[in-house]
Amino acid sequence: MDLSKYAALFLAESREHLNACNGSLLEWERAPTSLEPVDRLFRAIHTIKGMAATMGYAGVAQLAHAAENLLDAIRHNRVSADPAIFQLLFRVVDTLGGAVEAADGTEQAADADLIVELDAAALASQGTRTRAEANPESDDSQALPTSPPIPESKLRRATDAPRSRPVQVVISRGAAMRGARAALVLRRAEAFGAVSGVQPPLAQLERDEFDGRFFFRLQSERPEQEIEATLMAVGEVQSVQFKEPALGGDAGGPRRQIRVDLRRLDALMKQVGELVVAKNRLAALTAEADDAALIELSGRISRLVSSMQAEVLASRMTPVGEVFERFPRLARDLSRELGKQIRFDMEGEEIELDRSILDEIGDPLLHLIRNAADHGIEPPDQRVAAGKSSEGRILLSAARERNTVALRVTDDGRGIDRARILAKAHREGVAADEVDTLTDDLLVRVLARPGFSTAGTISGVSGRGVGVDVAMTRVRALGGTLEVRTELGRGSTFLIRVPLTLAIVRALLAEAGGERYAVPLAYVAETVEFDRRAVTSVRGRETLVVRDQVIPTVHLQDLVSTRKASRSARQPTVILEVGDRRTALVVDALLGQQDIVVEPFDAPRGLPPFIGGATILADGKPALILDAAALL
Amino acid sequence: MANPPALHAVIFRIGEIICAAPAGIVREILPRLPATRIPGVPDAVEGLVNVRGSLLTVLDGHLLLEQPRREADEGAIVVLEVKGRSYGLGVGQVIDFLEVPAGSVVERRDLPGVDPRLVKAVGLHAAQHFILLDVDALFAPIIGA
Repeated sequence: MDLSKYAALFLAESREHLNACNGSLLEWERAPTSLEPVDRLFRAIHTIKGMAATMGYAGVAQLAHAAENLLDAIRHNRVSADPAIFQLLFRVVDTLGGAVEAADGTEQAADADLIVELDAAALASQGTRTRAEANPESDDSQALPTSPPIPESKLRRATDAPRSRPVQVVISRGAAMRGARAALVLRRAEAFGAVSGVQPPLAQLERDEFDGRFFFRLQSERPEQEIEATLMAVGEVQSVQFKEPALGGDAGGPRRQIRVDLRRLDALMKQVGELVVAKNRLAALTAEADDAALIELSGRISRLVSSMQAEVLASRMTPVGEVFERFPRLARDLSRELGKQIRFDMEGEEIELDRSILDEIGDPLLHLIRNAADHGIEPPDQRVAAGKSSEGRILLSAARERNTVALRVTDDGRGIDRARILAKAHREGVAADEVDTLTDDLLVRVLARPGFSTAGTISGVSGRGVGVDVAMTRVRALGGTLEVRTELGRGSTFLIRVPLTLAIVRALLAEAGGERYAVPLAYVAETVEFDRRAVTSVRGRETLVVRDQVIPTVHLQDLVSTRKASRSARQPTVILEVGDRRTALVVDALLGQQDIVVEPFDAPRGLPPFIGGATILADGKPALILDAAALL
Repeated sequence: MANPPALHAVIFRIGEIICAAPAGIVREILPRLPATRIPGVPDAVEGLVNVRGSLLTVLDGHLLLEQPRREADEGAIVVLEVKGRSYGLGVGQVIDFLEVPAGSVVERRDLPGVDPRLVKAVGLHAAQHFILLDVDALFAPIIGA
């Protein structure tokens, strides 16, 4: 059988399981006596082994098998978990990760050294092992305690995988705790061989929607009757059948999921985008015609396209947790590397973002977390001396705010020393000499200068001055913003704000000098009327007073046009808001709202930064999109 | 006897100058379309046009070659591919699609009224000289990096 077409699926599923492995390991490391994370880790590695064996990736399967042996020894108290074991298991997960990514259908050699180490650790019985408790300071790199010789035969296993057979199980309708029953069935099945391809996925078995029907593949040559009897013995099992699940069916049943190549969703998104433009055009044309039937049809098409657009957008939304889940491990490794105590917490993992934005947001967050660990959190002795707990805290959080998602990296570390940054900014000519205070706004611009670093020394973690710079560049490319709040001695918060979705944007159309511009609604706080009488001048800059708030103004016509136009006393004004910064954009007229599709175009030289892109309006004419962040 | 290799070219007029672009880089020829001006960019950028739902940046051929516009010209956009990207060149009139024997095109760069750096070669067609434009050089000051 040609398995190559399953390679992508294998990769995707393995990545999920490896992420789960990291999560379980971290949890276990925090509470070494708890058994639950061990079980989860065991199941995840077991599943990877099964899938790898099915795919013929013997190297992956061998390594997973050796890890499984060690875990089994721990579960049965033959070996106790200590820092060296955790470090070994983290290495296994990393190595498996590398092997999984490299697996391409060709035979891959297993990491023999690591397998030897695993086997040594698994075979070391409690009596002969140096207990970790006796030496809690033990270094990770320290060689493992004396190990008995490894029989050659132990290095070659799991290569001749038995055939995998489909198993369908139905838990009785009235059974309580169907999820737990299903888990029990799977546990029993694992006694026969590797279990893989569980549908619905394990995480869903514990949900209320789970109707008791599930499917998995079992690698075993044992007779069907024996397997069936064992599984039925769990109790409340209605049936066990050895056949493939029926396609389709289950209409109106529990939610089912399939994996879709992102490129398909991208193509679909693009077409829906064009459909939205066509729909807008149709609506504009219909409005001119006086034909009731046409108007009704156009209205119907419009509603259909809108709901289709919503569905396609929804299908691309992915929880930020998918990107967040790699960071606890990063924070753990950083705290070791830097000799600091860091507690890493996450909030809002369920907040959803468009897949294309999510794919780009990991790197900026990575840089900000590294910065927080390296520059923010102080070494334990300094923290204690400053009256803080020796353990620093980094919080990564996501929250939905209007049409944007706010991602925050907050630390309770030393904060940023504005005086020091300002001095450096003066020296490097980044800030004008007369600037004597660094606002948060100016601070982030200084920090984001390429190569600007305040670190006295360059560590392996950060200090080369690329972190904020890279984060800023990436975030701006997504149409987002980066802000900082910091208090000396108390800590800092870096805030990334990104739009929910890139492709289709609700925008306000504004006119200036006879030209139309689109302003994304995500950054529009309100629209007011520009009244000459409410204008004041602050440090030579025109500002508008709106409900006791002084807001600097920008006249769109001045911005986009070289010719000076006469200004009327009252003009519509759009209050743009990014974070807590505001700007009043004075325009000639407001032309209503429209869904616009951001269209790529080859920009000529000299394109001003306040032009964020272009689109095609309902009447078929192109219009430019203003970048709110650049206007502030 | 084998024919000498021929040059396929699209012939168009910008102001008073007859120009040619190698057919290999001409993607299509469009009628004149209303363009949306882009603020802040060089004057020779006419703006953005909507070509069947996609955006095309159009450059003003008359400004690039410093030629006056003829009242009677209908105007057209010749879409050219430069460095993997497509740009429109606004011209006065598209005249012909030609197969010119390579022998009738000579490398000559001094032609009155035209910046010699923009001329790749000069050819003869229907008793009139035409210049084969160096499109890369023509667009270089305008298009982004």
